[in-house]
Amino acid sequence: MFRKHTRRAAKAAYSISLGVALLIGLVAAGGGSAAPARSSAVTVTIGTKNFTEEYILGQLYKQALEAKGYKVNYNESIGSSELIDTAITSGKINFYPEYMGIIVEDLAKHTAPLPSAAATYAAAKRFEESRGLTLLNRTPFFDADSFVMLRSKARALHVTRIGQMKKVRHFTYAGYPECRTRPTCLVGLKKVYGLRQVKFVPLSSISVYTLLNQKKITAGDGFSTDAQLQSRKYVALRDTKHIFGFQNVAPVITKQLASEGGAAFAAAVNAVSAKLTIRAIVAMNTAVSINKKTPADVADAFLKANGLK
Amino acid sequence: MTALLAGGPVIPSFGHGSSCELNNGWLCTEWLHGHWGDTLQPALIQHLELSAIAIGIGFVLAFALALVGFRARVLDPPIGVAADFLYTIPSLALFQLLVPITGLTRTTVEIALVSYTLLILYRNMIEGLRGVPADAIESARGSGFTRTQTFLRVELPLALPAIFAGLRIATVSTVSIATVAAFVIPEGLGRPIFIALEQDVFKTEILSAGALAVALALCADALLVLLQRVLTPWSRLERRA
Amino acid sequence: MTLADQFRPGTFVDAIHFIGDNGSLLLSKTGEHLELSGAALGIALLLALPLGLWLGHLHRGFFLAASVSNVGRALPSLVLIAVGLTILGIGFWNNTAALVVLAVPPILTNAYFAIDGVDRDAVEAARGMGLTERQVLLQVELPLGLPLVIAGIRIAAIFVIATATIAAIAGGGGLGEIIVNQASYGLAGVVAASLCVSALALLAAVLLGLVARAAWRRRVSVS
Repeated sequence: MFRKHTRRAAKAAYSISLGVALLIGLVAAGGGSAAPARSSAVTVTIGTKNFTEEYILGQLYKQALEAKGYKVNYNESIGSSELIDTAITSGKINFYPEYMGIIVEDLAKHTAPLPSAAATYAAAKRFEESRGLTLLNRTPFFDADSFVMLRSKARALHVTRIGQMKKVRHFTYAGYPECRTRPTCLVGLKKVYGLRQVKFVPLSSISVYTLLNQKKITAGDGFSTDAQLQSRKYVALRDTKHIFGFQNVAPVITKQLASEGGAAFAAAVNAVSAKLTIRAIVAMNTAVSINKKTPADVADAFLKANGLK
Repeated sequence: MTALLAGGPVIPSFGHGSSCELNNGWLCTEWLHGHWGDTLQPALIQHLELSAIAIGIGFVLAFALALVGFRARVLDPPIGVAADFLYTIPSLALFQLLVPITGLTRTTVEIALVSYTLLILYRNMIEGLRGVPADAIESARGSGFTRTQTFLRVELPLALPAIFAGLRIATVSTVSIATVAAFVIPEGLGRPIFIALEQDVFKTEILSAGALAVALALCADALLVLLQRVLTPWSRLERRA
Repeated sequence: MTLADQFRPGTFVDAIHFIGDNGSLLLSKTGEHLELSGAALGIALLLALPLGLWLGHLHRGFFLAASVSNVGRALPSLVLIAVGLTILGIGFWNNTAALVVLAVPPILTNAYFAIDGVDRDAVEAARGMGLTERQVLLQVELPLGLPLVIAGIRIAAIFVIATATIAAIAGGGGLGEIIVNQASYGLAGVVAASLCVSALALLAAVLLGLVARAAWRRRVSVS
């Protein structure tokens, strides 16, 4: 009696484990299967960094290129500039949207401030072309750092320009850790504006606006296209001395993709970039961050409205 | 209503969030309805895949190691120590330590997840095998079973309860740790939580993704309990006796 | 499409350099990490240990002890941290509370089973000698059950140190803050901090393991 049970149980156990093994094999194999072959020989592998605006940009370029018949592989949320730059230089992706100032300052390590958007773009392009990459056209919009505060606090302190913060005896400023050593951030605030009394609060994953809401900080490093900045609740003090640099976006692509895609590919991408004004990007950021739409849906609506899809 | 700028882009209306979404309500049903298909369901399926692969591979690996440790007793302590060592490393740290080697891929995530199952499964399997009463083995050998037959037909089935106990713990732990995978790849139920944290701590998304992860773990546990009852019916008889 | 072998194992060399160059940063982050972990573990001990010991002494609450462990294991650490932040806002308590919730189950369950499983004859003998219930628990049951109790504390400590790493995304500071900020510290920094927090966890595990073994030896000599 006992032996019959154990034999049956053993058989069941072995067949179940065989089934599980088969299932796992199928899942693993399924995960690795390739998409059906397309007629276009050009494959674009897009990568994005890991924040909302990049997700939107990634979806915009992805969907626009797909609409034109290109095969697109999409790798969202790869990481920061360091990681995504490694990805493109090692050939794992061949397209990603980057901010010009970041290329010049972080990747090219050229820390002296440049006088205009055109100069920044030229410097960025020169740098990338020295490493087998190139830039397509830059967008009209720029997304630079901003000195943001609660409007109520700014009113209480009577400040509208960053320079006026000098009269505030003590205040905290939150930013990502790299802000501490950047001329476009804390270093600029201290040196160019003389705000030596500032206490820096490093951010990790919580947004500056959450900290401002909870009154944990006086001011923080926001970005000029943040959806939250559009509300009356927050205000960005004016950067009269231009420490925040020029941060238009330009797609970084490999030279191989540039030659494979040729003029048609560049035209398709540039057509999208040309439509990305500050108002457009802010509207899309708002749709995602505030109104909780997905980047894919927002990109779809925008492209369709502008005849790019 | 669209905004038309001379020569500029057409900015369509992207739709307004519901008042619940705009005010960061605790459980916005509109958000759940609208985003089940594009956010929660894909994340759930990815989470399931990640967990299932890890548990499957972990089970096979632990079983092989348990056989080795059981037969060659001298190898048991080192295997146990190595497994304990891997288990102690914080999950996020282990993921990041693997990134320079296997990149930002599912492979990295699976290697880490499998490592965490090894300790529990290995220990429980060894203890299960060791807990088989000597009389059962002796009577089997006495009836003419070879060593292999004894193992397959007597020792292994009797070790099943302990193996299942380990499998249950390992499964729940794996589903739980798989949320951390979102730090490395944009997959699994940890990803909506991340995105929600970035969007001014959007409560509905955090709570719904979190609830799904907990529910997944508890369901897996319940299924394993059922499976155990099917495979070891004698344990129920013993309890009733 | 995999992104494998895009990263070099040379990152580990860079990580060692990072540790050398940023010793004080890593030290202060380790201090923060221990502060958060220690506070949470301490509170969890205050809450769960007496309860578990007493329930085990009364041989009541088996269902509670068994199920609190099952449910506790099903709570992903990331979810606890995120929910803590959602409910309590940024500060000290959101992460501490989440870590306490994580640490309580292993301490409670192990304390219960440790005391519950003590040899009944030894307990009866002690009662026969006229010891009060409290004295029975503290002088007889606890020493005999100590190894298992400490095993539970050890597991809780490992969980807490690991989750304190994740707490960095909710303002928890510690070594996790470097790990989640790859943009600022580079992959080398992230790997360096990962090595440090792993060492920290292993150290805690080994130390508590030694304490458990000492308790076991003492228990053997006592009985």
